[in-house]
Parts: sequence; structure tokens; C-alpha cells
Amino acid sequence: MKLIFAGILAGLMATAAARADEMVFTSWGGTTQEAQTKSWAEPFTASSGIKVLQDGPTDYGKLKAMIDAKNVTWDVVDVEMDFAIKAAKDGLLEPIDFAAVPKADLDPRFSNENAVGSFYYSFVLAWNKGAVSGETASWADMFDTKKFPGKRTFYKWSAPGVIEIALLADGVPADKLYPLDLDRAFKKLDTIKSDIVWWSGGAESQQLIASGEAAFGQLWNGRVFALEKDGADVGVSWNQNLTAADVLVVPKGAKNKDAAMKFLAAATSPTGQAKFAEASGYAPINTKAKAEMPADVVKGLPDAHVDGQINLDMNYWAEHRDEIATRWYAWQAK
Amino acid sequence: MSVEAQQGIAAPRVPAGLSGLLPALILIGLFFVVPVLALLLRSVTDPAPGLQNYAALLGDGTYARVFFNTFLVAFVVTIVTVLVAFPVAWMLAIMPPALASILFGIIILSMWTNLLTRTYAWMVLLQRTGVINRALIGAGIIDQPLPLINNLTGVTIGMVYIMLPFMILPLVGTLRAIDPMTLRAAALCGASPLAAFRRILLPLSLPGIAAGGLMVFVMSLGYFVTPALLGGTSNMMLAEMIAQMIQSLLNWGLGSAAAFILLVVTMALYALQLRLVGARRAVGGA
Repeated sequence: MKLIFAGILAGLMATAAARADEMVFTSWGGTTQEAQTKSWAEPFTASSGIKVLQDGPTDYGKLKAMIDAKNVTWDVVDVEMDFAIKAAKDGLLEPIDFAAVPKADLDPRFSNENAVGSFYYSFVLAWNKGAVSGETASWADMFDTKKFPGKRTFYKWSAPGVIEIALLADGVPADKLYPLDLDRAFKKLDTIKSDIVWWSGGAESQQLIASGEAAFGQLWNGRVFALEKDGADVGVSWNQNLTAADVLVVPKGAKNKDAAMKFLAAATSPTGQAKFAEASGYAPINTKAKAEMPADVVKGLPDAHVDGQINLDMNYWAEHRDEIATRWYAWQAK
Repeated sequence: MSVEAQQGIAAPRVPAGLSGLLPALILIGLFFVVPVLALLLRSVTDPAPGLQNYAALLGDGTYARVFFNTFLVAFVVTIVTVLVAFPVAWMLAIMPPALASILFGIIILSMWTNLLTRTYAWMVLLQRTGVINRALIGAGIIDQPLPLINNLTGVTIGMVYIMLPFMILPLVGTLRAIDPMTLRAAALCGASPLAAFRRILLPLSLPGIAAGGLMVFVMSLGYFVTPALLGGTSNMMLAEMIAQMIQSLLNWGLGSAAAFILLVVTMALYALQLRLVGARRAVGGA
């Protein structure tokens, strides 16, 4: 039954045929995928002759439908790392062929048997200088509506980040975050719930902060980087910045597995990573990439703010993803 | 649909045998019946056979609240749409045909504009730093921005705007079929304009209101984009919750069950409405 339903869906979605000289890359659209196309896909096609078709945005429901129906039209997919760990456990991913993808220089925080890093980023505290008087310096300020009135914006979906921010603001030390005390986190979030505006995509977070619709918020560092580049009047605090990563995976049953592995090698190479980081403001997951980047760009990377940096625990999230998500959405809908 | 309109349709040509209907039946079967059955099956088989998905949905306060929100939004949107659409439809029905067709064109044109574009336009207008709030603050009418977005107000404004054509079109048909002489007769018999509206025009236009209202209500129940962008998480509607279940939780069984419950409730409402309108029409015709 599952197969029939998923088959109908996947059949409708089928876009690319399996051909040795092409493959499909799927990511989140927008400026991120543009940068991936320019930094990875175009040079890769030029050197290997393998055409890279772009699809997107990444949709976990679609991905599962394809795999269930055994009609997988995506060959490489950019996903969040906690999803990748969970998906690997559920048997949805191909193992990475490390004979084709050099592993030595990959940051071990963001690669495993079924995934290689795509890029990593930090959640930072950003604010609109016109809407906030003074500097907001810590996550706790986002919960102080007296000192800092105005709307605050957080990431809408259940994902590593907001729960940790609430706990840090409530005084939990960084090394005692896990296992997450959900009761405490939601209690803390309750105190500002009516002042929260949720953002569901990067462009929305930029619009909210740049317009002053939200005075401050939790943003991806690359999006703040882009705002600063455009001359928006924003401030940013890297205090307790929270790292998380996107990874590249090959769905189980992908039709162009060999091409996919070659693509992964190019995408995670020092040059591919350096170019992408320069275009996006996100950090490279290849430790050799920084040597190929301009010094002023390196300065703006999460790598330059390791003091007080906190790595969000992807393994913990992978394990408790469903349980936290169920509670998260129930709390939001309240 | 009014009685007059139904009678206006040319006598249907019945094809010899069923063979002429076959393509239509296959189409309906393949694209409407099979998916709904697949949905139903999935809701009772995924992740294991049984009714646990329905038990989870019906036994949880959160889901109950989302169901309630869904019907509340659809109800409010339908009422407001009727109130806004009626004067417009009446104006279209009585104005010279040439002018009416131009206005019709404008209304239809809005339906052809991309839904997402129109919703984003409302975001720009309604947000705290948006055009409406800035103008009101600038004019000194208010000093704090009005909460027009991320709540029921925002959803209602955005959805009524999108639903208006679906209400106006059937209503104009019904209103045009009403003989203007009935209103003149009412006036001659001494009825005030209000009485004439309440006792003549409103009852006669009920079939159009019912047809348009049902369409708007049912469409509103399944709406996704507008509530997601203009509403807040505390007025989450069912479509958004189903999207979360499917895309974020990968819980297709639960998502299917939620979709199926919505379908059943919608069909029940439809049946109820058919009975009510049928009954009223019978009374009106006596």
C-alpha cells in the first residue's frame, strides 16, 4: 500500500532519467543553492563532463517517498545533520564511498559513514540598530522584555537551536545542556511567547530584522553576513554562538551513485569549500579550505568565534528528533 | 445554483451506453478515488495496522485545538466574505451589463494573480512596520502599531480577499435571476427598503449565498499558504499541521489520518447543507 501511494507521488515528481553523464543535486534554493551551483556544480561539470541538474527545495517527505517507492530521482541532497543521522539509522541513506571521497581533511564533527559536511554555520544574535537601543549581548537579553521591548524572531521549525537558547538564557551552563531539560526550556519560552515572530526561511529572517519588524533574533550567520554586505544597519553578537551543520547525503537507491560520489569529492575539496564559504559566509568543513580564502572573509567565519562557541549536539537531536518535534509543535499551537 | 439556472441548461444529451462515460470515470477513479483510498489505507496501516493514528489525533488536546482553529477560521472567513460580497454582487447584478462585465473582469483578474504574491503583498501591508500601520501612526490616529498580522485578523483579511470571487460569482447569478418587480411590488405594498431586503431579497438570494458560502468554507478548511504566512502558530490550521507531520516528522500515517478526518467532516457538512438548502427551497417554492 505504502508503495502504491509513494509510487504515485514519486512518479509525479520524477524529473531526471538515470544517465551516466548526469546527476541531480537538491538543496534549499535561494542564495545558498546559487552559491553551491557556482562553487561546486559548475566547476565539477567543467572538469568531469558530468551534468548537474538542480532541484529543490529539500523536502524530507519527498525524499522518503522516493526511497519508499524505489524511484529515487535525487542523487545528492543537502540536509540538516540531525536529520541525516536519523535517516541513516532508518536505512534511508547510501554509505559514502570514501575511496572516491578523500576523508583526511574533513572536519570530523560534520562527517560520518553516511554523510559528508556541506557547510557549517552558527546561530548568532542579530539586531536592528534602529529598533534596539544599546547592545544586546547575550541570549538572556532576548528574554528580557523590559530592558529590550519589541518582537524577537526565532526559527520556526523543530531543530537544534531555540531550545538550547532558552536553556542558556535561563542559566544552564553550556556543558550541562544535554540531555535537554525540555520542561525548563518551554517554561522559559512561555515567558516571551507572545513577543515571538517565527521565521521559517532565511530570507524571511533577513526581512524581519532589516525592516525592524522584529527588533532582534536568532539568525544564521550567513544571513547576517549578507545583510551587512547589503549595508543594512544590523548588529551581531557571537557570544555563545551555536554551531550546526548541513551535510550532503546520497539517498538509498540513487540512480547515479558513482557520479554522486565524484560530486561529493569536488564539493568537499578545499577549493570547492573555500569558494562556497566566500560566497555564502558559512564555514568550510574542509580544514584546508581556509588557506585558499581571503583573510577578511576568514575573519567573519564561525571559526573566528570559537571563544564561547557551543556545538549543538546532533547525535542527541537525531535520537530525540520526533519526541522533541511533537512537543515543539504542540507547544507552538497552544 | 438556482432553480432557474438549472432549468436554463439545455436538455442533456445521453450517450448511447456507458462507453461515452468511460474516460471520465477512469479519470475520476484514477485521480480522485484511488488517492483517497490510498490515504485511508495508509492512515490505518502506517506504522502498524490499527486505529492508533486516529486515537492519537482524537485523544490529544493539541490536535483538537488545531481542528477547532481550522473550523473557526473557515467559519469567520465565510461570514465576512458573505458580508463583503453581497453588496458587490448586488451592484453587479443591477448595473448596466457593459459596466458590469468590466468589473467582472477586474474581479476575475485578481483570481489569476499568483496566490503567493497576493499573500506577500498583504504581509507588506499588514505588518507592524507595514504601510497601514505607518500611515495610521503618521496620521496620529494610533501610537502603537495595530496587531494585524500573525493572528486571526491577518488570516481573515488575507483569506477573505482571496475567497471573494468565489462568493461573488454564484451570488451574482442568483441575484440576476430575481425579478426586480418583486422589490417594486414590496415597495408599493408599503415595505421599507430594509423590510424589502429582509423579507424579499435575502430569502430569494439564499441559494446563491449557500452555494458560495459552502465553496468558500470548504476551500478555507484546506488552506495552507495564507494561514501559514499571515497567521501565528497559535492559530495553526490543519493543513499546516499535516505538512509538519509529513515533512518534518515523516509520520505519514498520522498525516493521512488527519487529512481523512478533515475530508469526512467536510463531506458531512456538505451533506447537511444540501439537506438544509433543499428544505428551504421547498418552503420558498410553496
